[in-house]
Amino acid sequence: MTAAKPKTWLARLLLALLMTVTLLPFLSMFTAALAPSGSYPNGLSWPADPQWSNFARAFEAANMGQLVLSSTLIVLGVVPVSVLAATMAGYGLAKLTGGRNRWIYLVFVAGLTLPFEAVITPLYYEVRAFGLLNTRFAIILPLIGLYMPFSVYWMRAHFLNVPNDLTEAAQLDGATRWKEFWLVQVPLARPAIMSLTILLFLWTWNQFLLPVVLVKDPSRRTMAGALGAFQGQWGTDVPLLCAGSLLILAPTVLLFLAFQRHFVAALLQGSVKG
Amino acid sequence: MAGLKLQDVRKNFGAVEVIKGVDLEVEHGEFVVFVGPSGCGKSTLLRMIAGLEETTSGRLEIGDRLVNDVEPRDRGVAMVFQSYALYPHMTVYDNVGFGLKLAGTPKAVRDAKIRAAARVLQMEHLLDRKPAQLSGGQRQRVAIGRAIVREPDVFLFDEPLSNLDAALRVDMRMELARLHTDLGATMVYVTHDQVEAMTLADKIVVLEGGIVQQVGSPLDLYNRPANLFVAGFIGSPKMNFLAVTVDSVTDDAIRLASPLLAAPAVAAPRSWMLPGDRLTLGIRPHALLLDDTGPIGGEVTLVERLGNETIVRIRLDAATEVTAALAGQRDVALGAAARLGLAPDDAHLFDNDGRRL
Amino acid sequence: MTDGTPLTDARPRALRLLPTGRSRRARYTAILFVLPAFTAYAVFVLAPLIMSLYYSTLRWDGIGKARFTGLANYVTVLTDPDLLSIIGNAFELVLYFTVIPVLLGLAVASAIRGHMAGTFGTLTRTVLFLPQVIPLVAAGIAWSWMFASTGLVNQMLTAVGLADWTRGWLGDFDFALPAVGIIGAWVLLGLCTMLLVTGITKIDPSLYEAARLDGARPWHEFRYVTLPGLRQEIGVCVTVTVISALASFDIVYIATGGGPGITTMVPGLEIYRLAFAHRQVGLASALAIVLMVLVLIAITPVQWYAREKK
Repeated sequence: MTAAKPKTWLARLLLALLMTVTLLPFLSMFTAALAPSGSYPNGLSWPADPQWSNFARAFEAANMGQLVLSSTLIVLGVVPVSVLAATMAGYGLAKLTGGRNRWIYLVFVAGLTLPFEAVITPLYYEVRAFGLLNTRFAIILPLIGLYMPFSVYWMRAHFLNVPNDLTEAAQLDGATRWKEFWLVQVPLARPAIMSLTILLFLWTWNQFLLPVVLVKDPSRRTMAGALGAFQGQWGTDVPLLCAGSLLILAPTVLLFLAFQRHFVAALLQGSVKG
Repeated sequence: MAGLKLQDVRKNFGAVEVIKGVDLEVEHGEFVVFVGPSGCGKSTLLRMIAGLEETTSGRLEIGDRLVNDVEPRDRGVAMVFQSYALYPHMTVYDNVGFGLKLAGTPKAVRDAKIRAAARVLQMEHLLDRKPAQLSGGQRQRVAIGRAIVREPDVFLFDEPLSNLDAALRVDMRMELARLHTDLGATMVYVTHDQVEAMTLADKIVVLEGGIVQQVGSPLDLYNRPANLFVAGFIGSPKMNFLAVTVDSVTDDAIRLASPLLAAPAVAAPRSWMLPGDRLTLGIRPHALLLDDTGPIGGEVTLVERLGNETIVRIRLDAATEVTAALAGQRDVALGAAARLGLAPDDAHLFDNDGRRL
Repeated sequence: MTDGTPLTDARPRALRLLPTGRSRRARYTAILFVLPAFTAYAVFVLAPLIMSLYYSTLRWDGIGKARFTGLANYVTVLTDPDLLSIIGNAFELVLYFTVIPVLLGLAVASAIRGHMAGTFGTLTRTVLFLPQVIPLVAAGIAWSWMFASTGLVNQMLTAVGLADWTRGWLGDFDFALPAVGIIGAWVLLGLCTMLLVTGITKIDPSLYEAARLDGARPWHEFRYVTLPGLRQEIGVCVTVTVISALASFDIVYIATGGGPGITTMVPGLEIYRLAFAHRQVGLASALAIVLMVLVLIAITPVQWYAREKK
């Protein structure tokens, strides 16, 4: 372990460098956000007279209250339903079906690498046919479907690791499949469900393509979708744009900081399994 | 009150038949042990009785009721799993009471039953713990408790002691025997350990290759094994087998010939045997004695002194060794010559197909 | 099969496969559990996918009458120089999105080769994951500002005496695409680093000791212990980053809109433009299908490489 000393320093140096590179854009945005509105600030320079009011103006210009509400509604529409459907399907595919029904699972997995762009055009016409264009359901319903490959794959992988003995013991204890699912399997699946919830929350909150295509009114979009519109409207006013962007990315960052451990675990596992 | 009846029960996994037509009757209150080497189908058969595996064909009755098409939960059986299969997120109390809760048993009744079972199994102090906080033996008790409270017609045990250490296994074995006496319920028990089978069973079912080799009481199996497989499987150390031919036949005995033996006479029923028939002679190690005039002789290749007995291996020729379990502490030297004798009644004869004569 | 009539072995095999009442019931239960997920998937993924295939054979403006044109749209996608260079852009982005994060991640991981414990570890994890948590759109805006003429990049170049190099990076015909690539690399860097750092802790340290006793130099350790040990993690990094490069949309939409010219146009954005601005639904759908297939083709060898370990 003595030989490891200089290496630790090298590692720390590298990491510090990476962290700086990661943080610089945020810092640069932050200083720019404090410059007088309409001015052209420099990359990274503390303004002589920090304009904290820019944040308040951006809050109003971006209609932040409405945006948070809209994003929350969309997340509430997408995440619980997706998690429930995926948990049920994951259990069904892992515990209730044998080799002959493997094709159902393979059909789900086939969608894992599907770029959303590949289906966005027909989705537009489909959502329009349903009469849902420009409503939040235009984002909610398709997202549930689009999340199924990953979510089902994720939950099935979890249920495969639950010993069959527990299922059988529950059967002998007199549980129907439905009761076994709720009383035995779901409580045991809590960590997997938690991670899935975090991932789906992030992906929904940050979803951009669907809101841009399917919903015109920014106040009915997700935060990310609204940010696109905000840029279109205020793109030339750098301080205001930066202030607005910081505000818009603040909710997820705050949640992330609060639940850092869970988020990191979910993101790491999520990509390994996905 | 429920016995168990199996009629030509079969099980296929795909194209492979793993249970090849089992007929069996178990009386109410009997303790039946399925025993056999791993892969013989004993666990599969137990799981078929539980309803965890479908029965491919044949009739399966529990208490005079055909249950082929009945869900596990409605069969009136309870099972103790090899892994115990306790629900990790529930306390011992909830684990034991889960079945009753599902059945909608009133809370007070449930509580009384759980506590009664806990008392029987001496685990009242464990009720608030989670399975992860228990030792192997304690988990075992919880698993049994979970079976008891359901008051099933038939208890099923799938190698319940195989995850315990040797000393604990002996304790639990005795406890299970006591439980059987107390409850008077029908129990079906799967094990690969013939000592467990011998000590616990009213009736042993020896399985091999998905076929029942023999059904009988422990001593039946020991004294009159139906075939070479049962003879070799039951009893420890293993029975010795020697290839012999029939030399001459008289009214109540036959004389055998073998290059390895000094032509002993063996009691055997009158039969169709003719001089020259090839047979297998089986001799239990405990039936052999040191006897300077005995028919078996050779060089001693192994001596194990266990105190109460002395295990001796004797080499007859390059390919054949015989094991003898001699009572007490014997003065036998490694490498010395020794001769063994046996009483004519202690020999087992098997025909060319391995069946007992 | 449940009536108890003795059955003989002569019974045809097929008969045994017929489900009894129980297994039929079990199958219904299974179907009920899978049905909600499958319905959502079928309605909002499978059906649109089939429609995409269908549209891709049409010449259709999305409003008027559609005309069947067979594979003409695919021929266009694979021969039109603009569309080909758009697809080429996506693959060029792979160089930045994938190669930079994986190489840097490997460097950091093999330098650390251990758990990142303590406050410093938590701090690093938190900071490096920030780009994963924010919307890609926000990353796009942040870097648009970084690359702007008065942005930090130019400011730093000037500070080190390279004022001649300053430019509006995202508006530059030569540098816009690399600049977009840098944004993607920035987003994915933390994730790859953390994956590889976590992966390297799972390699048995005694392997390194054994290698050192066998006379291995640091480079050998990296080549014969670290790389094989990280195979799965590298596979994951490459898969994730390649998909996000080929299917990129958000960053390009915000940072450059595909310009200048079509130097930063990518298939994802082009599909959007064709379908909703140019009303060439058929061509957009053909490009969508081609994109989907390209992603599959690009990932399959990576998956093979990562799986081989087992």
